[in-house]
Amino acid sequence: MRRTSSSIANLTWVCAVALIACGAQSSSRKGLSWIASSAAAADAAPSNPYASLAKLPDWNGVWDVTRVPPQPGAPPPAPPKLTPRYEEQWVKYQALNRKQKGLNFVSEVASCIPPGVPQSMTEPYPIEFLFTPGRVTILIETYALTRRIYTDGSPLPKNPDPSYQGTSVGHWEGETLVVETSGILPETSPLNGINGHSDKLHITERIHLINPDTLEISTTRTDSAVFLEPYTTKAYYKRHRDWKIMEYVCEQNNHDALDAKGNAAFSLKHNPGE
Amino acid sequence: MPRSASSTTRGNKIVKLRHSLISVVCTATLLLMKSAAAHHSTAMFQWGTEKTLIGTIEKYQWTQPHTFIWIVVPDKPGKTQEWGLEGMSPSWLGRRGWNLHSLNPGDKVSVVYYPLKDGRQGGFYVRVMAPDGKTLEALPTQAP
Repeated sequence: MRRTSSSIANLTWVCAVALIACGAQSSSRKGLSWIASSAAAADAAPSNPYASLAKLPDWNGVWDVTRVPPQPGAPPPAPPKLTPRYEEQWVKYQALNRKQKGLNFVSEVASCIPPGVPQSMTEPYPIEFLFTPGRVTILIETYALTRRIYTDGSPLPKNPDPSYQGTSVGHWEGETLVVETSGILPETSPLNGINGHSDKLHITERIHLINPDTLEISTTRTDSAVFLEPYTTKAYYKRHRDWKIMEYVCEQNNHDALDAKGNAAFSLKHNPGE
Repeated sequence: MPRSASSTTRGNKIVKLRHSLISVVCTATLLLMKSAAAHHSTAMFQWGTEKTLIGTIEKYQWTQPHTFIWIVVPDKPGKTQEWGLEGMSPSWLGRRGWNLHSLNPGDKVSVVYYPLKDGRQGGFYVRVMAPDGKTLEALPTQAP
């Protein structure tokens, strides 16, 4: 009996070792075949999403909005056609511009509330573009603003939460980036001289190079509460490959906050911490 | 002050004049879209009217959203006045030859500025003549 049971035990061991050996061989074969198949997939499939960026135009460097369009002979654009409420604001603003030099547009921006789209795009300090798969990011030096433009084919959400830079999607038409933006906070300015708009403001921007170092942004504003018809302006940006975007903290030493009546003001008090 | 300046009567006149002035206005608007001052109206200054102060730098602030010159100028015998002059941002000036140490406490300088309309001791600085005779421009040159 004892011999028999011992033989059975030995046999069990032999079988166990054999099974383990078979399993090891089998999994090793599987392993080899997996490596082989992934190598084949790498040859066939678009491997790295960043490779798609090579097709995009070269917008490297930093872009500074120019004071005048580069075509001095071009006719001036037509003025906006406005609803009565906003026409009144516009007329007052133009009257001030004729009467006194300098910028006469008064808004909460002076108190460090940032501008919304599209005004954030024409601040006097530069912007830059970053391309990543499915997205273009615009970094705006003034107020350190960021615009995220999804180019992955997702649609513009129907009712995005309102924000200063709004919600944007974009697509490429050749070398032109077309950006659609909505969900912009109604207290922002859609145009110098006009404060406020409805929650339906929609901005379309067409961005492309008109020569190797000049970018044109054509901006169309649509909002029936303000504009009787869509209003388009163009801004031009000069490339500076050697500039870098710098930090901008408006609250650091601001002396220009609006007074209690909302008018332009200027404080001569030394700010705390100076 | 700037808002109350356009009365209703004046506004109506402007509406009538608007069509004949349209192209002038639009050109002006485009030029003004990018003003020298980054984030606010310049309505509180006599923009374009140059005045000069000669004095001693008390403090030069290389800060956002604007740099600031605090300068002490002689007043009545034995007395001085402190003036505060706002300027472009460090990023704008830094790209055009200025830096944190362009002006230092104790420097005797001559500063050209646009004064405040309300007569207080402040304004927006346009250029500075430093002790070494160099002139530092602090605003864009006139658009073509």
